[in-house]
Amino acid sequence: MSQSKDNQTFDPFDPTGMLKQMRDSNMESWSKIMTDFVNTEAYAESTGAMLDAWLTTSGPFRKAMESALAQAMAQLNMPTRDDITRLAERLTNIEMRLDDLDARLSEPSKSDNTQPTN
Amino acid sequence: MTTKESPQAVDAGMPSFTELCQNWHRAAENLDRFNRMLTTDAKIAQTPKEVVWTLNKAKLYHYVPVVPEQDRKPVPLFMVFAIMNRPHVLDLRPGHSFVEYMLRHGYELYLLDWGEPGPEDKNMCFDDYVLEYLPRAIRKFKSVSGAQEFSMLGWCLGALISTMYAALRPDDGLKNLLLLTAPLDFSDQEAGGFTRWSSNPAFNANTIVEKLGNVPGEMIDTGAKMLKPIENYFGSYSMLWDKIENPGTVEAWHAMNTWVRDIIPMAGGAYKQLINEFYKENKLMKGTMQLRGETVDLKKLKANLLNVIAEADHITPPCQSEAVMDAVGSEDKEVLRVRGGHIGIMAGRGAEKNTWPHIEAWLAERSGT
Repeated sequence: MSQSKDNQTFDPFDPTGMLKQMRDSNMESWSKIMTDFVNTEAYAESTGAMLDAWLTTSGPFRKAMESALAQAMAQLNMPTRDDITRLAERLTNIEMRLDDLDARLSEPSKSDNTQPTN
Repeated sequence: MTTKESPQAVDAGMPSFTELCQNWHRAAENLDRFNRMLTTDAKIAQTPKEVVWTLNKAKLYHYVPVVPEQDRKPVPLFMVFAIMNRPHVLDLRPGHSFVEYMLRHGYELYLLDWGEPGPEDKNMCFDDYVLEYLPRAIRKFKSVSGAQEFSMLGWCLGALISTMYAALRPDDGLKNLLLLTAPLDFSDQEAGGFTRWSSNPAFNANTIVEKLGNVPGEMIDTGAKMLKPIENYFGSYSMLWDKIENPGTVEAWHAMNTWVRDIIPMAGGAYKQLINEFYKENKLMKGTMQLRGETVDLKKLKANLLNVIAEADHITPPCQSEAVMDAVGSEDKEVLRVRGGHIGIMAGRGAEKNTWPHIEAWLAERSGT
């Protein structure tokens, strides 16, 4: 698709041609500027602060939503997310016990090594 | 609007109506292909494998060998990938797959896929990965393969997990340890965007985990992409458009993009530990890292070590992988520096010529009985 043109005329079959020329001449410097920018202390601080602010302010709303949903689910006799989570944790514990049992059963027992004598 | 024709235009002549139609048709096809590349998934991770063990979300895969049994290496290879990505990048697409390459060279291959943590896993931390899941997976792997000795390959956070395991369980049969872009040493707080961001007092991992539980994949993905915003948000797509008529390049881009888009959350406990105990406090290299009360002493790591470092890695800068060479107790250790980035060294175009043969040669020398 790329039809590089030396002249600056608009090619209807390559509508992105002008953009490409801009990109090719500026991409490296854009990249360097942006990479330097995101590595500044100011960027790190502002990102951290914004993230913290968003999490802190959205926290109460999220809590209210969760609590309302939990109540609604309880009214409908349906398990809540917490119920499912607790169940999943228990299942994982059971899986671990089974895994240990499986490992024990898979071990060649010592009696297998003793050949019966006739 | 009238335009004065340039001499070149006269030489070239006006395109015929048929040519015009063909050109527009081609442009429409290219646009359609471009759109498909962005919105559909390529078939990746197609090498035949079987699940031999599962626990919670974790799965252990055994790849179906492709060489006769007598030609296989006696020491199998156990691969551990990072916990916040799918491991399919090791087996990207037929004809360009590390897994395929190693199978062809006669290795028994096993891959541990950590899976996608759910809300019930939000407290999972490195203690669980290193001392609960990995030992169990290895126990099963030994039982299935019948091997007493094995090699382990860890990539990114998988390398961190592998290193800690190798130091804590040095007598577990681990013969060879391959680390790829391993983030182990965070003493330089100026190296790399992640280190700069996380070491800033305004960045609070505890709040993130407390409010969100598991850290959303989108957040981790955005963080990784923002390290090189122009390349990731613009350069990658403009490159695709440039090469849209090159089937090989398009196929490779599509496969990689499919893997990149498949983002998964990271367990909250592990994220908190990663930021606080590794990035901020550098506990592993200081020798103060403890997992379930056991101190991780890198001097106890005795396995043969190949440390693969990507020279242009912006996610794990080389300095985060280098210092481990002096810290470990291994006698046989080697550093391999490869030109390329964090993922490119193993999945890029040059991987098959540069990285894979070196890894295979190093491993082959040490995979005999």
